[in-house]
Amino acid sequence: MTTLLITFTFISLIILSIFILLQKDIEQSVILFMGFSLGSTILFFLFSAPDVALTEAVIGAGISGFIFLSSIIQTINKRTKKSCNA
Amino acid sequence: MLKKNISLETIVISLFISFMIVLILGVLQNITLTQNSLGMELLKINESTTQSANAVTSVVTYFRGLDTLGEVTILFLAIFGISLGIDRSRPSKILNIFEEDNFLLKFGMKIIFPLIILFGFYIILHGHLSPGGGFQGGVIIASGFLLMFLAKENNFNLNHKILTIFESFSGVGFVLFGVLGFVLVNNFLGNFLPLGVLGNFFSGGVISIIYVFVGIKVASEITVLVEYFMKIKDEGKTND
Repeated sequence: MTTLLITFTFISLIILSIFILLQKDIEQSVILFMGFSLGSTILFFLFSAPDVALTEAVIGAGISGFIFLSSIIQTINKRTKKSCNA
Repeated sequence: MLKKNISLETIVISLFISFMIVLILGVLQNITLTQNSLGMELLKINESTTQSANAVTSVVTYFRGLDTLGEVTILFLAIFGISLGIDRSRPSKILNIFEEDNFLLKFGMKIIFPLIILFGFYIILHGHLSPGGGFQGGVIIASGFLLMFLAKENNFNLNHKILTIFESFSGVGFVLFGVLGFVLVNNFLGNFLPLGVLGNFFSGGVISIIYVFVGIKVASEITVLVEYFMKIKDEGKTND
């Protein structure tokens, strides 16, 4: 049962990461990246590493997503409404 | 949304890669801890040396305590580098992620913010009993302050003097406990307190005290980091 869950989570994380890479809008890609962190939290928990899962949930899904979003908003070009690195 | 021109080739390659990774995972699952590995040795001596119910915590603060000191120093240097790169004299305003004032966020924050702080301190104080510890609890407390910034409650500002005092005193306390261990039991970050009974709140000796220091240090540092990224340049106020 646990093996099945791990396999399912792993495959969905790989599909989600391909979605993140192919995303045109960077902000949507950051939001999906936070979802990816949430998925990897489940994976860490299934691997019986709850300490790492807690760290990943707080850092990956919370603080790092906010830092990415803030950086994108601060580097956006107001005239073209596009991010500088797009 | 996926791009429209995604080819069949990409899908086939990605499916192949995922199949390979699942295969590797299946191989990895059959690997168990051998009797002579370092992890098994640490698990064996954990109960007799630290009396901490969470073996990860005793590895982080007791067996590898010096590494944790280096980790905390690296985090401090990272925040210091970011603070050098950000010009604090410029006119700034708080980042506006939402279009207008969010009623639900503003009033839900008043209920949730104390609970988040309480949960963070719970994670820090019970680091030697349950999953978690100083770093995780500290970041949870900082995420509570992030929620405070997002809700823009009364133009919320941080008191940097108090944060600096918390941060430096916890850092000094960490090193002080290490030196105390060196003086009393001839071992840097060694245990000189009574160990207690496995599973009790007052157990684990010096571990929980060191984790409280780490938690306060990480909480104040990440809170300052969040503030740096929350205050953006105010274009309306610039004259040039």
